[in-house]
Amino acid sequence: MLVFAASDKGGTGRSVTSANLAYHRALAGDDVCYLDFDFGSPTAAAVFDVPDARQAAEERGLHAYLIGEVAEPARIDVWSETEHRVLRTRPPGSGRLVLMPGDVSGGEFATTEDNLRRCVDLLLRLNSEFDLIIVDLSAGRSYAVDMVLEATSQRELSGVEARWLVFHRWTRQHVSAAASLVFGKRGIVAGGVARGHDEEALRGVIRFVRAAVPDPESALWSQVSPTQSAWMRECDRDLKQLASTQGIGYSLVLGSVPLEPVLQWREQLITDEDVLDSQIAGRETWEALSDLAGRLTDDKFWEQP
Amino acid sequence: MGALPPVAPAVLACGEVRTGLLPSFQALDGRAAAQLLRLRADERVRVSERPNLYALSPDVLTGVDCRLPTSNGAKVRAVGTVAARAALTEGRVLQATAYFSAPADGPDLRRPWGHYLVRPGLVEPFGKLPEQATAEGVLRGSGRGELDLGMIAEGLLAQLLRHPLLDHKAPFKSRRTHLRWAARRAPEGEGPSLERFTLAEDGLRTVSLRLPEHVPAAAAAGLCEDLALHDWLLTTVVHMLDTSRLGAADGPAAVLALRPAVDHLLHLWMPRAHVDQDLGHLWEVLEREPGFTRQWRTLVQRIRDQLAVQAIPLLHEALTTR
Amino acid sequence: MTDAVFRETTAEPRTQAVPLSHLSLELGHLYMEDFEAGPERLREHFAEVRIWVDAARASAARRIGGKRPRISTCFLIDDYFTRFSTPAELIPIVLDEAERAGLVIDYLARESGCAVADKIELAEAVMHRLVESPPPGSYGSRPPVSRTGWLPNGQRTPALRPALGEVKGWQPPQETAARNHSVFMDVELWSDKDEQRLWSCPFLAAVWQLARLGLLRHLGEPVLAPRPWTGGDFPHDWDQLPPLLRLNATAAPFNAYRTCTLMANRFLAVEDAVRLILDQVDVDAGALRQVAERSAREGVAVPAAVAQRATYVFYEEPARDSSREAS
Repeated sequence: MLVFAASDKGGTGRSVTSANLAYHRALAGDDVCYLDFDFGSPTAAAVFDVPDARQAAEERGLHAYLIGEVAEPARIDVWSETEHRVLRTRPPGSGRLVLMPGDVSGGEFATTEDNLRRCVDLLLRLNSEFDLIIVDLSAGRSYAVDMVLEATSQRELSGVEARWLVFHRWTRQHVSAAASLVFGKRGIVAGGVARGHDEEALRGVIRFVRAAVPDPESALWSQVSPTQSAWMRECDRDLKQLASTQGIGYSLVLGSVPLEPVLQWREQLITDEDVLDSQIAGRETWEALSDLAGRLTDDKFWEQP
Repeated sequence: MGALPPVAPAVLACGEVRTGLLPSFQALDGRAAAQLLRLRADERVRVSERPNLYALSPDVLTGVDCRLPTSNGAKVRAVGTVAARAALTEGRVLQATAYFSAPADGPDLRRPWGHYLVRPGLVEPFGKLPEQATAEGVLRGSGRGELDLGMIAEGLLAQLLRHPLLDHKAPFKSRRTHLRWAARRAPEGEGPSLERFTLAEDGLRTVSLRLPEHVPAAAAAGLCEDLALHDWLLTTVVHMLDTSRLGAADGPAAVLALRPAVDHLLHLWMPRAHVDQDLGHLWEVLEREPGFTRQWRTLVQRIRDQLAVQAIPLLHEALTTR
Repeated sequence: MTDAVFRETTAEPRTQAVPLSHLSLELGHLYMEDFEAGPERLREHFAEVRIWVDAARASAARRIGGKRPRISTCFLIDDYFTRFSTPAELIPIVLDEAERAGLVIDYLARESGCAVADKIELAEAVMHRLVESPPPGSYGSRPPVSRTGWLPNGQRTPALRPALGEVKGWQPPQETAARNHSVFMDVELWSDKDEQRLWSCPFLAAVWQLARLGLLRHLGEPVLAPRPWTGGDFPHDWDQLPPLLRLNATAAPFNAYRTCTLMANRFLAVEDAVRLILDQVDVDAGALRQVAERSAREGVAVPAAVAQRATYVFYEEPARDSSREAS
């Protein structure tokens, strides 16, 4: 299955969250490949803590592959090449976790017929090898978004299941921006339809992920004053109302990720050790990520609302 | 008077085979296999039904003019055509091979393209060919700008994977393997021999051969496809057993994980089925050490035993409820 | 191949041989506008051609040591790009005018037969056999001809990189086989419109040359087999006309070791493009071998490169009707 991770703007934690989803699925035994299509600002190497990826991506990354400079993009086996202390020991029963880095020097580029063909070839090839392929797309309506919309509209990819995750922060501006990214005049749905996607089918495979959501009920906020607490609840309620009127209400939400300092600041994978031993990351976060990872392939969450 | 253009005898043949599962829910029958491999509208796909279903595409050529990969850094420009072909075994395992042969030396100037076109699959060096360094270079893999057999094989595979016959709903996920091979000329009077088979990381395998002059590169390609096919079967079934966590996982889950092997792979083992008669015996080296077929039999036995063990409770249930 | 007990015919390739003349002599390659100009135009054409036909016959005889060469003549009518009149009206005029000039047309072909003949897609099959001459630095990337429909004789001017690429000035194209200086050529092989593919004139002409040279096969069988003409009327629809018709029952074989084409000099660019295409076609190896072996046995070895087997005479065009009226 292909999963495209998009976001309305930067700072949603899209890359780090989708990398964590890849990690969770690999832990559960799936063979997972993570593609860094965030051309211009590739971050995956840092998230997975694979410094060698920077080197490999210098000239053999996805960007160089798509524009035809190399025959195959570099692959990094995360379990064996990471410098992360915990990740280095691959848990028994886990699947493969492979990173395809973007290029450090590669910028955005137009989708030509050749680039598109290479993109299709790559996705087809990875689909036969991996259970799950997570494609991290640059923020906004980028060339990367256009290219995968175009690629998935091709006949060759029609047999390959694809789903979209749209990450947005839990603020008024972000809710509106996410809705517009998907349903706006120049949004993903309109762009997809213009490229031959069936509108209903495309809408059916898009879900939202609310990121950095402060949970008013969380222990984190137990010390705040009653007034503050009441205000937080009200804001949360308003946001839910806004999301609903913008068409990205509850039924289209795959999950929420709590406001988590480790995700925001460290921008790395959260391991069970971070939760259990050093306890720097919240259990809620771990569980939210785990739930999200499970729901990616759980058809119950992808039925027509 | 020379009927055919004089061809300098080849002293080296090299190739790369990429092997993987056909991304299709069902195996293709002979007709569909022929349709898939019809790389040229006017040329026949060879289809064999005995002793197993095997389809082989015609060769297609790619023109090259670049440096050869060499292990000692020698810079040798070469011009000619690389042949590529695809094979499908039992409608299930798809292979693409790119291969060329090279004479001991060639002219220092590029000749008109027609000269190379009538010598399909031959790549002529400028000056003298460093045979050993080139053989080693090919096995090690090419650097930037050097003749890239993997790229040509991959290009052919990608073309085939875009065929409308394929639904991309393979019954299970699996990795491709790459097998690179190099065959140098055997010393005068000696028969063909397999000098080394190396299992490297990331699904890479390398094979060194020695072949007498009369053995065409296409025959060597056929042998290496056969080796690659069986090595892929071993690799894939071993991986399946690994991830099924036999013993650790609960019984039915493990059986479920092994089911695709039974349905799609166990009947494919048939070394030498389509290998040139002169080369078939090279398999014997691998049967002695490490014993390909021996390992295969053990794997198959393990899977069958596991299925039998899982069947006991069902049998028991059936008997007691009678 | 050793004698095996067990054989599978579907597993063994075979190529059927075709009979071969020494020379296939094309008496003209006319388009509909040439016919529109009336029989006088044809008369002018054949009168001019006649002179060169005698020269071509003499040259063929000299090449085989003064013996009597096997020569077949042919004539191609364009019914692919434009259609004019009907075979029933037009062909008798062509034959009359040829006869008047003392010429015999052995075989008559129509151009759309080079695209599809007897339901076999000849042009597409030849397209699959294009192997581009690699410019220096080609190490295995797929040549783009099958996607672009353009075939060059070298390296094109690099496209200007959008966005972040370094800004470079114009760079010249480069002919791969250039001697000091380039004569760069880029040939359009087809165009696609509304899911319909229109083959270009040079590409069909290249197919035509390969057909005459006996180098085309379909699954090992010969293609464009000449159909005998039993006399009687020609059909009223071009599609009813066989793609290749043998008008002369005693003619030498249609296929030949070499071709000679007599045509007006305005076709020079087209035929130069034909050579460029022929130079990059990987023809059926079995057919190539049969021709080589057979010609060697006869002591008239053919050039190894296919494009070298095609020769031409370009003559000055007959004066246009308009100019005649003016005079």
